[in-house]
Order: sequence, then C-alpha cells, then structure tokens
Amino acid sequence: MTSCSCIVQEGQINSDIKRCLTNRLEDFAQQSFQSGLDISWTVIPQGRGFTAGKPSTASVVALTAPEPLDQDTRTSLLKELCDLWISEAKCSVDEVVGVIADPRA
Amino acid sequence: MPVYICNSKPNAVSVEASAKIAKDVTRIHCAVTGAPTSFVHVFFVEDADTYPRYDKGVLLMGSIRSGRTQEQKNQLATEMAQSIHDHTGVPVAEIAVVTQDTPASWVMEGGEIFPEPGEEAAWLAQQEAKHAAVDKDQ
Repeated sequence: MTSCSCIVQEGQINSDIKRCLTNRLEDFAQQSFQSGLDISWTVIPQGRGFTAGKPSTASVVALTAPEPLDQDTRTSLLKELCDLWISEAKCSVDEVVGVIADPRA
Repeated sequence: MPVYICNSKPNAVSVEASAKIAKDVTRIHCAVTGAPTSFVHVFFVEDADTYPRYDKGVLLMGSIRSGRTQEQKNQLATEMAQSIHDHTGVPVAEIAVVTQDTPASWVMEGGEIFPEPGEEAAWLAQQEAKHAAVDKDQ
C-alpha cells in the first residue's frame, strides 16, 4: 500500500475536485507502483496557511513509495504527480509541492 | 520545503498568533539555515490526527531538507518553541518542536526538483528565467 498525505487550503478544493484528485491519485499509485493508495487529507483553515510568512495558496501532495526509487524514476513520477494535481486543482505550478519519498528504514 | 505543521489543542493558537508565529518560524528557519524565505511553508491545524501531539499542547513538526547539523536543528527547535510560547502563553514544556529530514531530491516545487542546501541561488535564477519566459509569451 502506498501512503499519501495531501494538505490543502480551506475553500480551494471543493468535494468534486477532491473526488477527482482522489481518483487520479489512486490511478497514479496503481500505474506507478502497482499498489493501492491510503490517502489522508488535511484542510488548513482559512487564514492559517503561510508561505514566506504571508498568506499562502500552496498545496502539498506527499507520497511514500512502497520501494526505494532511482532518481530518474522519481523525477519523472514527481512531474506526473504535480501535473495531475495542477490539472485537477486548477492551480499554478508554483502552488504545489510534490514529494515522493522512499520508505523509511 | 521546509513545510512546518503546527498542530495544537483547540483554541491554543489564535488566528492572530498563527500569523506572528508563521513570520517567526520563517525568519528563524532562514536565519539558521540560510534558506530563502519563499521556500518556507507554515500551516496551522487543531487536533489533527495525522500529526499526533501525544501529551503536548502544541506540536510543531517541520519537514526540512537533509543536510542540517544537529546544532542547527536544536537552534530551530529552541527558538521556534520560544516564539510559540511568546505568542500563545502555552508553557514551553507543553510545546514540542520536531524536525524530519527529507532529501531535496525527493521534492518538486515550481515544477523542478528542489535544490540541495547551498544551491538555492541557481535554482531561484532558473525559476525567475522560467517566469520571465512565460510573461514574455503572454
């Protein structure tokens, strides 16, 4: 099972977008890791998210791969992950932080 | 990256305090590590199961780039805990600040793999060039 933690700002992602993102992330995990996905969502209340000390519109999508990845594979998957997020969340490339971690030892 | 998440018991950190703590966390992180301010994300939640507080009133968990010394991490923890105390009144003993190392190569921001500590200037220049190209096309 691949774990995924998504941090989004309140009001940025409605239930339809969240459902689309969930489906796309599940497909991504299946195609990339042949794995199911355990997703947790954290919604940052309005006025409680900051980047550079100022109100933030950033989202974070962080996956832990089931096996260690080589860097070329990771870079390619990160690009795909961020692209799918931008496409579904209708945000800019500067508003998403993507992480694909190796499993912790 | 870094991404700091502050999980507190309900009403321990007001909206006003969170803005002040976010500025302090950003300033402290940049002063200690030399990272640009634009890299620092700080988010506040209450009673979020994903970020267990254990027996503390406030937990500040920072995912920071690998490569920082233990001395730097201790300084981050000490100064950030003091900031939370100063702006909330929560006793320092009730505040936990923990950091978790994340390799820069595991992170993508602005569509590019994140720079290693010390390589930020070239990365930022690349980002600015990308933005200038986009602006020119529009």
